[in-house]
Amino acid sequence: MNVLRRPPGLSSFRFYSTQTTRPFVPPASLNHLELPQRQREKPRPASPSFYTARPDFYDQLTSLESALQHAKTALTTCHLLPLPQFARTALPPRVNAWVDKRELGLKLRSNLTTSRYRRVVLVLNELETYRAIAEKAGIMELQEGIRGITELFERADAATMLARGKSKPVKFDEYGRSYTLGKRKTSSARVWIVPAQRPPADPSTTALSTQATETDSALDALLNPHSSSKSNEHVSVAQILVNNTPLSTYFPIPADRTRVIHPLKLTGLLGAYNIFAIVRGGGTSGQSGAVAHGIAKGLAAHEPAVATILRKGKILRRDPRMVERKKPGLAKARKRYTWVKR
Amino acid sequence: MLTCSVRCQRASRQLFASSSTNPFVQTRSYASQPKKGQVVKQASQGFKGKKGALPGQAEPAKKDKKMAFQPLPVSQLPHPLFESDRPDTLSLQSFHPEMLTRIVESQALKFPHNDNDPFRIFGLPRNILVEYRLLSKPCSVIRSVTIDAINKLDAASEKESWQSRVIFTGPQGCGKSFLLLQAMQYCNARDWLVLYIPRATSLVNSTTAHVYDMRTRTYLQPVFAYQTLQRFLKVNAPKLEQLRTQTDLEIERRPAVPADTPLVELINIGLKDQGLAPTVLSAVLEVIGKQTTFPMLLAIDDFQALYGKSHYRDQHFSAIKSYHLSMPRLLLEYASGRKSFARGAVFGALSMSNTTFPLPLELCEALSLEYDRPYGPYVKRSSELVKYTHRLEKLAVPNSLTIPEAASVFDVWMKDRAVPTKPNDELFLSKYSEASGNARAFVWKGLLSSIST
Repeated sequence: MNVLRRPPGLSSFRFYSTQTTRPFVPPASLNHLELPQRQREKPRPASPSFYTARPDFYDQLTSLESALQHAKTALTTCHLLPLPQFARTALPPRVNAWVDKRELGLKLRSNLTTSRYRRVVLVLNELETYRAIAEKAGIMELQEGIRGITELFERADAATMLARGKSKPVKFDEYGRSYTLGKRKTSSARVWIVPAQRPPADPSTTALSTQATETDSALDALLNPHSSSKSNEHVSVAQILVNNTPLSTYFPIPADRTRVIHPLKLTGLLGAYNIFAIVRGGGTSGQSGAVAHGIAKGLAAHEPAVATILRKGKILRRDPRMVERKKPGLAKARKRYTWVKR
Repeated sequence: MLTCSVRCQRASRQLFASSSTNPFVQTRSYASQPKKGQVVKQASQGFKGKKGALPGQAEPAKKDKKMAFQPLPVSQLPHPLFESDRPDTLSLQSFHPEMLTRIVESQALKFPHNDNDPFRIFGLPRNILVEYRLLSKPCSVIRSVTIDAINKLDAASEKESWQSRVIFTGPQGCGKSFLLLQAMQYCNARDWLVLYIPRATSLVNSTTAHVYDMRTRTYLQPVFAYQTLQRFLKVNAPKLEQLRTQTDLEIERRPAVPADTPLVELINIGLKDQGLAPTVLSAVLEVIGKQTTFPMLLAIDDFQALYGKSHYRDQHFSAIKSYHLSMPRLLLEYASGRKSFARGAVFGALSMSNTTFPLPLELCEALSLEYDRPYGPYVKRSSELVKYTHRLEKLAVPNSLTIPEAASVFDVWMKDRAVPTKPNDELFLSKYSEASGNARAFVWKGLLSSIST
């Protein structure tokens, strides 16, 4: 019976073929025919990681690893790898600030587990090492190439993260003012320091001064110690304002005033800078200590040579002493209640 | 109680040497005058009453034997450690009126030593007195404001005093009292008549007796008037001998003083009878006000003490207003221009350090100064005091010394060996910066309180 023939009564009701196999045709008989190539049922996967659980992730990882491999070959050809131990220690130790797991997951378009994240970070660290070697060796092309890859995975605030714990350099504004903070106990002071202006030299006084040299005036002073001749040199004086009042008005106690002036006196910069401070919190001695701390930091910024002196004088360090807490069983922090024998 | 009444009687006897006793006298026991030689604890403002000193007796007002601190004279320091025989390194020029020009600005000049020096006779404010105890000789630094004040005085010598009423203002310790002292010395050297009240607070702080007078309806202060007359006479004796009264003068309880009496005689009437001293004082000032031979300077320190309530109490225990007391009233009349000298000026210096007599609102407004309390249209201003502050002129003394002036001050103290540290520019600049240029802070809290070497 011819199976292709449908029974006449049922041709309108059959929507599927009951035949599942084709009739056998020997391939040799089709040799002379030019039949169109049969499409594969499934297309060939684009990447080899198609059959993995996370193809995107593994694609990215593979591309990173291949980049790493390229970099390694490049460095090996330049005889920079393997790096001897002394050279490796000479490289600056680098703390990397890569994006966190969530961000990396978004970049790689797949949810990352910790182990996968760690795997990516390992590769990135290696890349960064090779970049550092390339930079040190001066191979700029390679360094820029690697940088192009690694900067995609760096945190936006990488600079701040890396500068954590280090003292930031004091910035100067357009008028040459430094802005520093000083603290002591619970007081905090914001201090602006600007170099004091000297008046423009008078042409008349300069003409006079050219005649009398420094040695002449020094000899004069030696030979006539009691003469009341005063030189016409202008002496610049530091104006110090604390909370917009002069220093002597804000701090009536001489000890507080001396504490504020101490950094200037120690460094010999008494008339050189004008100081404006806003101080809040604490009491008089705390506020004066905070202002002194701020002034010391500002002076170290204006004149770095002076920083050693201030550090030796222990004014550059924030005084860590704070009020000690009261303890139970004691009247105050250290004071004990009167001992009673019975 | 017995002691109280005995003291009252003694006080009244001293006040009214004449036999007639006024039944309406009110005297207070606390205001009794101590016996001569009796040591009395001094109030912070000196100016204690003369202990019943006989009138006419030449009593140089050797200041305050009873003050706490009195340096030993050099003769009592023989030990070589004191170096009493060392040569005097503090060589200062003398304060002569002719040399006071801009050239001597920021130079220290010493005050001349005379028997009739006005500040030896009239006394000094407490701060200046203590400074002069420490220094070897009384001196002061000429500042630019000194020259300004002197120029004002020169201009005022031809004008009536109501046109030259100047008050020195400025923050604490800027040098107002010193400036007044310099002005007073200048006038004295220029042959002016000088009346200097170094501590106006002692007029109102209830240290001497006050007596209600029915005629003037004010409280008289006979002791102060007596002292003022005595000192005024002593300082200005040669000039006063040339002056005579122009009209008859009525003085209570005695016949009228005829015209053309020498002024010295009129003053002696007041010195003989302390009860007549207030009347005589106002009469003397009136006579001086009419004459044009000598200009007159009325210099008052602690000027703000005249404009407020005094520490005196009336019978209802309410504070007596300053313009109801005779001495402050007299000074206020001349300071406000209601009474005037034909030639002369009235100079005053405020004192910002005194918290018992603070700066009143009326004076602040007249001198356009900052008032530290809340004020507005609803704060009461005394109309009498407003009249007494009419058109007062202000001379603002700058808060900070300039560097040359501060250098002169530093020089004086260092050369006098009052400061144990070595004089160097670091010490000078550090103390100057600490004081922000303020004179008192520079000397007292800077140089004299530092132990750093």
